[in-house]
Amino acid sequence: MSLLSVESLDVSYGNVQAVWDVSFRVEAGEILTLVGANGAGKTTLLKTVAGLLAPRRGRILFDGRDLVDRPAHTRTSDGLVLVPEARQLWPGMTVLENLEMGAWGKRARAESARTLAEVFAMFPVLEERHAQKAGTLSGGEQQMCAIGRGLMARPRLLLLDEPALGLSPRLVREVFASLSAIRKAGVTVLLVEQNVAHALALADHACVLETGRVTLAGRAQDLAGDPRVREEFLGVSGV
Amino acid sequence: MQQALDVVVNSFLAAGLYATMAYGLAVIYGVMRIINLAHAGIMMLGAYTTFTLFTHFSIDPFLSIVVVVPLFFAGGVALYRTVVRRLPRSGSTPSMESLLLLFGVWLVLQNLAYVLWSGDTQSILTSYTLKSVSLLGVRVGVPSLGVFGMSALSLLVLEFVLHRTYLGKAIRAVTQNRDAALLSGVDADRISAVAFGVGTAFAGLAGTLLSTLFAFTPDFGRSFLLKAFCIIVLGGLESVTGVAAGAFVLALLENVTAAYTAVPTSLQDALSFTLLVVTLVVLPQGLPGLSRLAHVRRRG
Ligand SMILES: Nc1ncnc2c1ncn2[C@@H]1O[C@H](COP(=O)(O)OP(=O)(O)O)[C@@H](O)[C@H]1O
Ligand SMILES: [Mg+2]
Repeated sequence: MSLLSVESLDVSYGNVQAVWDVSFRVEAGEILTLVGANGAGKTTLLKTVAGLLAPRRGRILFDGRDLVDRPAHTRTSDGLVLVPEARQLWPGMTVLENLEMGAWGKRARAESARTLAEVFAMFPVLEERHAQKAGTLSGGEQQMCAIGRGLMARPRLLLLDEPALGLSPRLVREVFASLSAIRKAGVTVLLVEQNVAHALALADHACVLETGRVTLAGRAQDLAGDPRVREEFLGVSGV
Repeated sequence: MQQALDVVVNSFLAAGLYATMAYGLAVIYGVMRIINLAHAGIMMLGAYTTFTLFTHFSIDPFLSIVVVVPLFFAGGVALYRTVVRRLPRSGSTPSMESLLLLFGVWLVLQNLAYVLWSGDTQSILTSYTLKSVSLLGVRVGVPSLGVFGMSALSLLVLEFVLHRTYLGKAIRAVTQNRDAALLSGVDADRISAVAFGVGTAFAGLAGTLLSTLFAFTPDFGRSFLLKAFCIIVLGGLESVTGVAAGAFVLALLENVTAAYTAVPTSLQDALSFTLLVVTLVVLPQGLPGLSRLAHVRRRG
């Protein structure tokens, strides 16, 4: 059984439909990446899986259980955690408070001291800056804080919405390295990225989303060699 | 010189009460993006509750706080659970529905007060109501000192709760970014109920404190609601310190005007309204915006 199974999802904003009949599965232990251009519906899809938006139609099965009627905050305690687009930290709270609040659920809070040590080991800069207001961090540090906060919830499935957006190449590499470490620690990852080359190199499977529809899906390796992907996203034409 | 000292001391004393009054409005707006137009009615109800406890059970007004605060907290939670939570969520600005609903609640509370206590002007006269002491050479009424002490205490407790407890941090988290709070597993609906309870309790407390200083009728509270708006616009929602600073600026303005100009005190409401408008035009981010501006200047 897949850890996450999204079936025939339709999502609309008022009368404007943004996601059309989308289905995909994420297997336990893997990294699946969802790639697509700006406005393709990636954020909408992740928000729906996380419970911030309600789908018009379709099912979201997490560990075999339908989540559609579960409010967002309970999905987090179930182990499905979204690191949202544009980080969404609490700017007026310290780095440490941001991380602590990530471990809000009962299960996560019980283990928060140990998780915090793991997060600090992964991102030492967060320990250095633990007493600083999150709003005063640099972009890369904010992203690490956002990922750290997500990890504090002790996710089984971590959803990340463009974690590399706006970061320098060196920081992008650092963030991607942390994602591999997270997977090694046993967390399944669903990664949304516009940085397609990096994402396909990291992921096991991939889906391409275009104007709200899945147009290609398969092994990441195969997609990286697919002429349509190469032309559309990797800047290689003519093959 | 003595007059200047008078002004400063009186502004300080008034600021404590103003901050308590404004915080009730700030916490509800911060967490829910709802303007609690019933705030004035709740303050009025707080005053009458204290009045009834005093006249029927001879409970000292300051002691009545131990009844008023839990009672109003529970009332606020109940009001949230029964009606406020059913309002459509409207993103970042207060919806028309919420304004109408809470304005309606205010009218209901006023009429309830007319039925229960009639429209007569009431006041609370204790053994210390007219006593005063000397503070830095300034004559200060004993009730004013008591009001300041209770306000300061309540704001200190609040500051502690907001920064040192999980519940307080959750209130700040929902205020700063509601979606992020949900994604971290915080039940924002539960936190909203708590915040509405806290906001109502603070309004009730402010009413109790006001009742030791002023006479009141069921229409009581309106001008204090205006002051509270003004303070929030000045002080922002992010911190208790901001609210306290806004409260002090307003109190100072009122006292300076009363001491040094011929503006009659009947125009005090116009004064807070002017300050509100001027702040919105000149300093839309309030006092915190001022410090941010200074910060940028120093850097640049
Ligand atoms: N809050 C919103 N209200 C209305 N339309 C929206 C909203 N958010 C996104 N959309 C629309 O939904 C589509 C998908 O957006 P989004 O999910 O943000 O795409 P992506 O994350 O892939 O860039 C876009 O056409 C966008 O304009
Ligand atoms: Mg997006």
